[in-house]
Amino acid sequence: MSTAPGAATTVRSAGGRRPRLRRREATLLGAVAVALTFGWISLASSQAGRATIGDPTPLVIFFVLVGAAHLALTWWGRRTDQILLPAAALLMGLSLLLMTRLPQDTVVQAIGPLRLRLAELQLVWIALSLAAATLIAVGLRNDIWLRTYKYSWAAGGIVLLALVFLFGEETNGARLTLRLGPLAGQPSELLKIVLVVFVAAYLADDRALLAGRDTRLGPLRLPPLAYLLPLLAMWGIALAIVVVQRDLGAALLFYAVFLVLLWVATQRHRDLVLGLLLFVVGAVILDVLFPHVRERVAIWLDPFASAQGTGFQVVRGLFALGRGGVLGTGLGAGLPGVGGAPSIPAVHTDFIFDALGEELGLAGALAVLGVYLVIAERGLRIASAAGDDFRALLATGLTLVVVLQAAIIVAGNAKLIPLTGVTLPFVSYGGSSLLANGIVLGLLLALGEGRLGAPRAETLTRRERLGDAAHALGDRVERAIT
Amino acid sequence: MDALAVTLWILRLAFLAAIYLFLLLVVRALRRDLRVSVERADRPLGRLIVLSATGGTPAAGTAFPLAAANTLGRDINNSVVLDEDFVSARHAALSYRGRAWYVEDLGSTNGVWLNGGRIDTAAPLGWGDELQVGGVRLRLERQPSR
Repeated sequence: MSTAPGAATTVRSAGGRRPRLRRREATLLGAVAVALTFGWISLASSQAGRATIGDPTPLVIFFVLVGAAHLALTWWGRRTDQILLPAAALLMGLSLLLMTRLPQDTVVQAIGPLRLRLAELQLVWIALSLAAATLIAVGLRNDIWLRTYKYSWAAGGIVLLALVFLFGEETNGARLTLRLGPLAGQPSELLKIVLVVFVAAYLADDRALLAGRDTRLGPLRLPPLAYLLPLLAMWGIALAIVVVQRDLGAALLFYAVFLVLLWVATQRHRDLVLGLLLFVVGAVILDVLFPHVRERVAIWLDPFASAQGTGFQVVRGLFALGRGGVLGTGLGAGLPGVGGAPSIPAVHTDFIFDALGEELGLAGALAVLGVYLVIAERGLRIASAAGDDFRALLATGLTLVVVLQAAIIVAGNAKLIPLTGVTLPFVSYGGSSLLANGIVLGLLLALGEGRLGAPRAETLTRRERLGDAAHALGDRVERAIT
Repeated sequence: MDALAVTLWILRLAFLAAIYLFLLLVVRALRRDLRVSVERADRPLGRLIVLSATGGTPAAGTAFPLAAANTLGRDINNSVVLDEDFVSARHAALSYRGRAWYVEDLGSTNGVWLNGGRIDTAAPLGWGDELQVGGVRLRLERQPSR
């Protein structure tokens, strides 16, 4: 052999996984189960007026679902992160408690003879979300198809956006919902994942281009045009979402995620400064031109001026937070639902954090924020251990999508920034939101798996040839777009 | 104070305490992870994987662990020895400076190619980028954490 002795080791092949205990995950899930059981007893007792455990069926179903996810990861020998699943499980469990506690007729959906109500529906969404996360974490063998077809993904995302522009239905004054027969969903939740995949692939592939020379415009030295363009394009898309869809939350989230990813990829602070300047310019333009933006800002500056009108939600939310105090009123003892109707409109979606703050107090709210911090730490750790730039950027972006969205809605609920309607990841009611966050969780777990997409052997099996044919087809689509 | 109010109060606090117990366990796990990564700080900074070589040596899939400064070439005094006909004795230098990798041609006969383009000055590269040195195609990868 010609290589220096000892300097070379052959890369391990990706096959042959045996069941592998995930003890840390099991311990943490046990702690989650204990906490949720206390919460359930507390809720049932306070609703029944005596010490009782109530009807624990939904909680037991939830434990079985989470346990199944844990067992699937164990059985297929995943070595990926062991803290993300328990953290998400705690948030989902809290969600189930809150949905059980809120007035059940807030959302009713009839599926055949079944008439599912708020908590039951949420349990179904949680099941789907966990299933998506587990399937992706166990099943994703390589990420080539994610990165290779970045323009196809982007095009799909834009088509999705256009569909919402054209056929969307209004929810709370924002055009968000796309209805397809009996199915209704909010595509912006899925769009955020597509966006992260595209931006990560774009930045990873064109890093050399982005780091190129500055363009000179007379005495002005501007960053290279090649990277100004995506920045401006993203800025334009965000503005379009605000104008056409009236979805301030999604626009803010998309733009913030893009900006941070750009900054992470180029490591230049001036990108961040430039992006923030563009943001300020855009915000001022929108505030001047569009009444629905101006209204949000007015509510933010003084919700009590219109406490019975447009500021109603925010004012009720602030009252709820105030009533909660430090330790909260206890589950079931607050006022989120009075006489069968929620006291805060949209308490099960956008204002879930206020319900949480009222019944669990500052202590509970801070704990929930702590869980999001933990998710941030784990996600960024996966990013920093990733094998290449694409995976690192993808993991960073996925983490940001969850954590920034939580920050945006919590800050909005607490009147720190103008309220923008997005969901609190894993906690708010809603199928699209839970499913999208389940996919994010699954992708993060798959990326945490060190051996993802290891180089394949040269021999082609029939399945691989079939795969190659699919690749060729995808390449053609890709070229047609670019 | 009646018994029910006391029970509810205890249940509430137990619920909050249990949530914080979970967070405490998580923080302990995070601290342990942090210690482990500090202990592993002296492991190789990255590695070069051989994708293909014209003569068949070095074999595809061979991995060379990288230090902060590496030289590539046919001579056995290089830190990455590539014994292949089109590789010069001292062919290229690959170094980790600050926060990025740089590759430099050390006056080789057949040149250094980065992602399909020949380089003439020190060029930055990142994880996943492809180098061609003589007839050997290599990919820069992060050292796996386990």
